Amino acid sequence: MATTLELRNVSKSYDKFVAVDNLSFAIEKGSVFGLLGPNGAGKTSSLRMMIGITMPDTGQVMVFGENFRREHLQRIGYLPEERGLYKKMKLIDQVIFLAQLKGVSEPEARSRAMKWFDRLQLTAWINKKTEELSKGMQQKVQFIAGILHDPEFLILDEPFSGLDPANADELKNILIEQRKAGKTILFSTHRMDQVEKLCDSICLIDHGRAVLQGELREVKSRFGRNHVQIEYEGDGDFLQTAPAVQSFHNFGNYTEVELKPGADAQELLKAVTARARVNRFEIAEPSLEKIFIDTVNNKQQNEKVQHA
Amino acid sequence: MRNTWLVIRREYLERVRSKGFIISTILLPAFVFGITVLPSKLMMMKSGGSFHMVVVASSAPVADAVKEQLESPDSDRKYRVDEKITDNSQDRQELDASVKAKQIDGYLWLTNQAIADNKAEFVALSTSDFGQNENVRTAANKGVTRVRLMQHGIAAGDVDTLVKPVNIETLSLAGKKSGGEVARFFACFLVAMMIYISLIMYGMSVMRSVLDEKTSRVMEVLLASIKPKELMAGKLFGVGAVGLTQVAIWAIFMAYLGIGAAASPQIRELFSGQPLLFIFLPVFFVLGFMLYSSMYAALGATVNSEQEAQQWQWFVTMPLIVPIILVSKVIATPDSGLSVWLSMVPFFAPILMYVRVVASTPPWWQIGLSIALMLVTTYFIVLVASRIYRVGILMYGKRPTLPEIVKWLKYA
Repeated sequence: MATTLELRNVSKSYDKFVAVDNLSFAIEKGSVFGLLGPNGAGKTSSLRMMIGITMPDTGQVMVFGENFRREHLQRIGYLPEERGLYKKMKLIDQVIFLAQLKGVSEPEARSRAMKWFDRLQLTAWINKKTEELSKGMQQKVQFIAGILHDPEFLILDEPFSGLDPANADELKNILIEQRKAGKTILFSTHRMDQVEKLCDSICLIDHGRAVLQGELREVKSRFGRNHVQIEYEGDGDFLQTAPAVQSFHNFGNYTEVELKPGADAQELLKAVTARARVNRFEIAEPSLEKIFIDTVNNKQQNEKVQHA
Repeated sequence: MRNTWLVIRREYLERVRSKGFIISTILLPAFVFGITVLPSKLMMMKSGGSFHMVVVASSAPVADAVKEQLESPDSDRKYRVDEKITDNSQDRQELDASVKAKQIDGYLWLTNQAIADNKAEFVALSTSDFGQNENVRTAANKGVTRVRLMQHGIAAGDVDTLVKPVNIETLSLAGKKSGGEVARFFACFLVAMMIYISLIMYGMSVMRSVLDEKTSRVMEVLLASIKPKELMAGKLFGVGAVGLTQVAIWAIFMAYLGIGAAASPQIRELFSGQPLLFIFLPVFFVLGFMLYSSMYAALGATVNSEQEAQQWQWFVTMPLIVPIILVSKVIATPDSGLSVWLSMVPFFAPILMYVRVVASTPPWWQIGLSIALMLVTTYFIVLVASRIYRVGILMYGKRPTLPEIVKWLKYA
């Protein structure tokens, strides 16, 4: 299998701060890859090295099977986390300009832009300036700007942030289409539900180091089917101290518990039904969210859960 | 190259199409004209109406002579002169009162006693009109001289011949620049101000545009396609081209003033037959622009907000203000040693050397040397600025300290 991107022992420091520490991973052509990690873990620093904004101090960045060269940039699309558009420029001029920088001719860029604007219901806005748009619309324009040159490799930093469910779904469909067309997609996000829906492989980084990586299915099976997701009405606090429970996370709508080794899920079910009305009781692999939190073992867990 | 060209095109088209460009193209010369030429014009042509004054003398011949001088048609102002023959200093109170009551605009106290005591006085409501004061002084002197000469038995006709002043016309060496001193001064000042304001305006425009790309994070998107060096070059050339367009419009406008009938004869004389003036305007603008705007670009890259930029832009603006402070000195003595050396300083040259070209005829080697020095300096400034720029555009948060910026220069 050809790899679209490979980081080999990449490190990057700013003064004394180590942003990326000996990071290695590979992304197969035609796959969707999730780069996960808490805030400040080094995600953006890693992404910047993939598109040549910064150079690694040590290690290699291989793109399309070769050492990174600036010529590769014409085949890469980049959607930064923060919206980056000219405030006072017309949308159509803006995306054409950015596509031209990627080597697309003006007429070609214009005709492609019209199709994308149409698809994302922005046709009425093409002559408006960015500052007149809502955040969600800006995000869509940003996405168009990133994809207009039809890149083989899409790097998306938090692509779903700021999108309403309908638009998020549309974006998800586009990503699936792109993948079917053989494009490689890397996205970095906190939205674990999107990762679970879309990603083939993941890499979880913390403090600049990879702490967990591999195929999504394989990663999850590593954690075993010893998790139970419970939806209930009533007081569930007792779960924290129930004898079968190893660890406990309340995700709001549902609670996920990790069973102690050898504990019987049926016993737990009985205990729960005795105290609360159960709507769902499912034995499953741990959710990615749970894995994320356990792995990062961050003190600010609860805050993260609310963000997710 | 292609990328730089695309950036240049974007910067140029986005700016030239904006309303701000059209407005500033028209308003800036109007504004500069307003603050330089207009006040002097206004002073010269005092409200159109005639100036009503009283000449107080001990004898009729003196009063007559002064009245005749003031009312002569050669004068640039109109006077209506009443005579009052008296020696009595009590009458002054009466006159003061009528000035206060605005029955008269002023009076000249020129009694024999006053002349003898060297205490002739001109009293008026407003005495800040230099032209006015000068007129009255000249008239009084001429009048008194005339009477004295006649008292010595010289015939009236001979007196006119004797006191006729010599008219001196000022010509610079090349013999091409004649015309009123005042008009020349203001024309020089006008072009100096125009270069100064456009350098600041376009320099800050570069700074703001860098800052804008940084804060709006377009930078991040751009850098995924283009090198910082290409981006900065594109910006400088793009904004510079806009400035050049504007300056060219002004140069054409000035050339029109030179040949057209729109301007006063003095200004026309000054601007006409001087192709150098129009050629050097864009030359010095471009040189000054490259020098200053690369510094502004570096500044824009190191700060995080408009407010922060304002705190630090004096650092770049300072060397531009110095020549504006010195410009009147250079206009007055364009070929003095001081002027020559000041115009060689690369940071001052865009304004001061250009002013010298307009005001005088500096030797070619001086013009060439100042341009060469500017080019060399600009080269180094651009080198340093592009390094600061390259690192600065990716730095968010805390503003870097000077030692940190120096460290950036060493980054590969």
